[in-house]
Amino acid sequence: MFRFDRRLLLNFDWVLLLTVLLITIMGLTNLYSASHSGRMLGTPVYMKQLYFFLVGFGLILAIISIDYKVLLSWNYPFYVISILLLLFSLFFGRSVANTQRWINFGFFYLQPSEPAKLALVITLASYYYRKDTGKGFTLKELTVPILLALLPFLLIVKQPDLGTALMLLFVFVSMTLFVKLRWQTLAILATTCLSAIPIGWKFFLKPYQRQRIETFLNPEGDPLNTGYHIMQSKIAVGSGLKFGKGFMHGTQGQLDFLPERHTDFAFSVWAEEWGFFGSIILLGCYFFMILWGLNIAVTSRDKFGVLLAFGIVSLIFWQAFINLAMVMGLLPVVGMPLPLFSYGGSSLMTTMIGIGILMNIRMRRYMAGS
Amino acid sequence: MSRFLTSIYKIDDAELNTLKRRIDIASAVAIFFIAILIVRLWYLQIHRGDDYVQLSESNRIRVQNLNAPRGNILDRQGHVIIANRPSFNIVWVREDAPNPDAVLKKLSQILHEDISVILDRIRAYADHPRYMPFRLKEDIDWRTLIYIENHHLDLPGVHIEVLPNRDYLLGNFASHLIGYLAEINERELAKHADADYDLGDQVGKQGIEKLYEKYLRGEKGRKYLEVDVHGLEQKLINSKEPLPGDDLQLTIDIDLQTTAETAMEGKAGAVVAMEVNTGRLLVLASTPPMHLEEFIGGISNTAWKEMLNNPLHPLIDKTIQGQYPPGSTYKIVTALAGLSEGAMTPDTVIYCPGHYFFGNRRYGCWKNTGHGPVNLHRALKESCDVYFYQIGQKVGVDTLARYAQSLGLGIKSGIELEHEKAGITPTDAWKRQRFKEPWQDGETLSVAIGQGFNLATPLQICRMTAATVNGGTLYRPQLLESITTPEGKKIKQFEPIITGHALGSQTSLNLIRDALTAVVNEQHGTGGAARLENISVGGKTGTAQVIHLSKYKDTKEDAIPYQYRDHAWITCFAPSEKPEIAVTVLVEHGGHGGSAAGPIAKVVLEEYFAQKAAAANNTTP
Repeated sequence: MFRFDRRLLLNFDWVLLLTVLLITIMGLTNLYSASHSGRMLGTPVYMKQLYFFLVGFGLILAIISIDYKVLLSWNYPFYVISILLLLFSLFFGRSVANTQRWINFGFFYLQPSEPAKLALVITLASYYYRKDTGKGFTLKELTVPILLALLPFLLIVKQPDLGTALMLLFVFVSMTLFVKLRWQTLAILATTCLSAIPIGWKFFLKPYQRQRIETFLNPEGDPLNTGYHIMQSKIAVGSGLKFGKGFMHGTQGQLDFLPERHTDFAFSVWAEEWGFFGSIILLGCYFFMILWGLNIAVTSRDKFGVLLAFGIVSLIFWQAFINLAMVMGLLPVVGMPLPLFSYGGSSLMTTMIGIGILMNIRMRRYMAGS
Repeated sequence: MSRFLTSIYKIDDAELNTLKRRIDIASAVAIFFIAILIVRLWYLQIHRGDDYVQLSESNRIRVQNLNAPRGNILDRQGHVIIANRPSFNIVWVREDAPNPDAVLKKLSQILHEDISVILDRIRAYADHPRYMPFRLKEDIDWRTLIYIENHHLDLPGVHIEVLPNRDYLLGNFASHLIGYLAEINERELAKHADADYDLGDQVGKQGIEKLYEKYLRGEKGRKYLEVDVHGLEQKLINSKEPLPGDDLQLTIDIDLQTTAETAMEGKAGAVVAMEVNTGRLLVLASTPPMHLEEFIGGISNTAWKEMLNNPLHPLIDKTIQGQYPPGSTYKIVTALAGLSEGAMTPDTVIYCPGHYFFGNRRYGCWKNTGHGPVNLHRALKESCDVYFYQIGQKVGVDTLARYAQSLGLGIKSGIELEHEKAGITPTDAWKRQRFKEPWQDGETLSVAIGQGFNLATPLQICRMTAATVNGGTLYRPQLLESITTPEGKKIKQFEPIITGHALGSQTSLNLIRDALTAVVNEQHGTGGAARLENISVGGKTGTAQVIHLSKYKDTKEDAIPYQYRDHAWITCFAPSEKPEIAVTVLVEHGGHGGSAAGPIAKVVLEEYFAQKAAAANNTTP
C-alpha cells in the first residue's frame, strides 16, 4: 500500500494540477486587487491564501502517495471526527455575527463545516460502494445514508450556515441519484422533501435567512439593505463589459461598494476588472475541471473510485455553480465560497484535499485487477 | 496489500458501465448549468452592460453643488440695497452618527429647539441615502456656530455648511417689492425643470426676487468627486466654478424709499413716487414692512402667524393690492370729464349751500356751511363736493368711467409685480353684471366725488396724477432700470413704455393742473401740508370714507375706533410749472387727507429736491 509504483509518477495528473494552478493564480491576483484598498490589518489576505495553497499542495502530495482505497476503512473515523468538530464548534466555537462556525487552533481558525462536506462524500461513497446491489435502493436501504447526511446537516443548520448545509443536501442528492434509486423511493423522497419546504421555512430558517430569500424573489423591495448585496454585485459584474475596467481599477470593488469582496463575492471583483473575456476564461477553467473530474470518474478502475470522484466533483461543481449564480443574481445570497478562488483557508484546504483524492484516483486508474 | 484489496472488492463490469453512462448524464447536467451561467454573464456584461456602467458611475461619482451668489439689487443711484452674506446651516449626515438619539438631544438643547421639531425634519428625509447630508437648521447665529465648532467631537453626524444668503443691508425697506427667498418646493421644481435646481435650493418667492429669478440666481458650480461606499472623498474628477447672478438696478431711489417708509412708521398705508415723464417708480412703499430677515432659512410658524394676524396687514402690498375709494382725488377725473364733455366751462359757477338735493336725498358737502359760489378752480382747490355732484350728474357714470380709465383707473397698470389689483370704475353695465341691478342716478353723485363703488390702488392714483400733469401720457410703471452681468456688462436697459393717453384736451389738463397747484399753495387749499419753501407743489387731497356711520358723524377723529376711521389720501406733483415727480400717499384710517397724508408727501418731496440740489452742486461747483 505504501510502496510507490513508478507508474504512479508517469500517471501523475498534470492537467488537473495545471487547471488548479491556473484558477489559484487568478484567485490570488484577484485577492491582491480585492484587498488593496487597505482597510485590513496584518498579513494581506492574498499572502495568507498563498500559504494555505502551499499547505494544501503539501496535502495533495501526501494524499496521492496513499491508495485512495484506504478511505474505505477510514471513512467512519473521518466521519466521526468531522461530527465531533462540528459539535465542538457549536459549543466552544468562536462566534462571528451570531454564528458558531469557527474553531480556534491558535495559528488557524478552522471552519469544521468544510471538512464535514468531504467526510460526507467519502462516507456516502463507501456506503454506496458496499451496499449497492444494482437493483436500486429501497427507502429502507436508504435509511442509513439519510441519517448519515442528516446529522451533519442539522448541526450545520444549527450554526447556522445555510449555504454549507444546502451543499450537504446537494451532494447527498447528487450521489444518491447517481447510484440507483427505485421509482417508489424517488417518489416518496421527492414528496417528503417538497412538503418539508414550508416546515423548514417556518422552523429552521432564521429571520435573516428568510429575508434573504424574500429579497431575492423581490430585490427592488428593499434596495438599501438586504437587496443591496445582490444589486451591488450585479452592478460590478455588469459594468465590467467586454474587457473589464482593468486590474485594480474596478470601482465597485476598490471603493468598497461590493460586500465580502475577497470571500463570497470575489468573482464580482474579477468580472468587474476583467470583463466578459476574463470571466469566460475563469468559467472555462471550472468547466474544464468539472469535465476532467467526471472523466476521472469514468476512467476509474473501480466502483469506489467512480463514486468518490463523482462525489468530489459534484461538491466542487455545486459550490461553484451556486456561488456564481448567487453573485450574478440568479440565486439568493447564501454563504458559499467559490472553490479555489474565494479567500478562506478551510474551504481552500478542503478543496485541495478533494483535488488530491481526484488525482489519486486518476493515478491509479490502470492498476485495477493486476 | 493492494493486491489483497482488489481481490476483496471485485469489479462488476456491467455495473461499472451503467455508472459510467450516468457520468455522461452528469456531464450533460454540468454543461447545462454552466451554459446558464454563461448566458447570464453575457446578459449582465454585454446585453445590459451599459446600464450597469451607469449605475456604477452614479455609485462612485458624487456631484457636489456649489451655490452661486445671487445677483445684487441696486437702487437707481447705484447703491447696493441687497447683497449676499455667508449663512451657516446645520446639516445632518445619518451615517456619521452611530448614536443619533443622544446627539440630537444635545443638539436640541444647543439650538433651544424642541427635539420633536428636529425629529420631524429628519423624518422628512427618511428616504435620503445615509451618507447624504441634509439641513436641520438654517442660518444659525455665530454664538451657536462657535459652540458647535468647538464641540464637534461630541456631535458626530452634525456638520456645518456655508451658503451664500441674502444680506438686507438696509433692513426691511422696499420689502414687498423686493420679496423674499425660501426653499424651492416640488411645484417650483417641476416648473423650472429646465433650470438647474435641486431640492433645498433657495428661490425667489415674491417680488423682484421671484420675477427676475432667472437673472439673479446665477449658475451653479459643480464638483464631481469620486467617493467610496462611505461617501468619503477619494479624488476630484472634475469641477466647474459657480457664476454669480446678474445685478439688478431698480428705478427705486433708496433714499426716497427710506424717507417715505420712515415717515410712515407705525402707520399702515402706501407711498408711491413716480417720475411723471417716464413712469419710473422712485418710491413704492407699503407699510408696515415685511420682516425679510425672518424669511431666511424658512420663516417660523409664530412669526408667520404674527404677520398674518397683524391688523395692519404687513403681508399685503398696499401699493398695488390695497384698493381704496379714491375719495376727492377722483375729482380730477370728474373735472376732466366735465370740461371735455362741455358740462361746464372753467368759469361756470355753481352755488354750494353745503348740500345738494337729488331725488329725495340730501347729499352733503364735506363743508357743512357750504362754499358759496364756486368755479372749477375753487371747486378743486377747496374740494367742493356739491360742484362735482352736479358735474358728475351731467356727464353720467359711463362717461366718468371712460375718462377714469383713460387715466389708468379700473385697469391694471401693467407693473411687473404679481397680484396687482385693477380697482373698480363702476358703470351701468358693470353694476348690472355684478349686482343684477340697473344703475341708480343717485349713485353717480357718489362716484363723482370718488366714493360709492369706486376703488383704486395708490399706484393707480399716482399714475393718474402723473398723466394729468405731464400732458396726458399714461406710462407703464417701471421698476427696473437695467440688468448688468457680474463682469459689468449691461445686458438689458429698460425704457419707458407708453400705454395710453388721457381723454380731453391739453387746455383742460392745464386748467386742472393750475387748480391743483392752488390746492397746495393758495389760501383755503386742502393740501397746504405738502407745501415746500422753494418749490411749487400741486396736488389733491382725499378722504375716503370707510363706512357710513351717523353715530360717529360728529365725533372727534381720535375717538372713532381705528377700523372705522377714514383713509387719508394725498396725491401731488412738483414743480408745478414743469412737473417731474408725482407722489401719492395713502394712510389707512388716517383721517383727513390733508393733515394725515400731506406731511408724508412733503418729506418725500423735500428729500427729492434736496438730493437734486446736492447733485447740481456737485456737478457745477
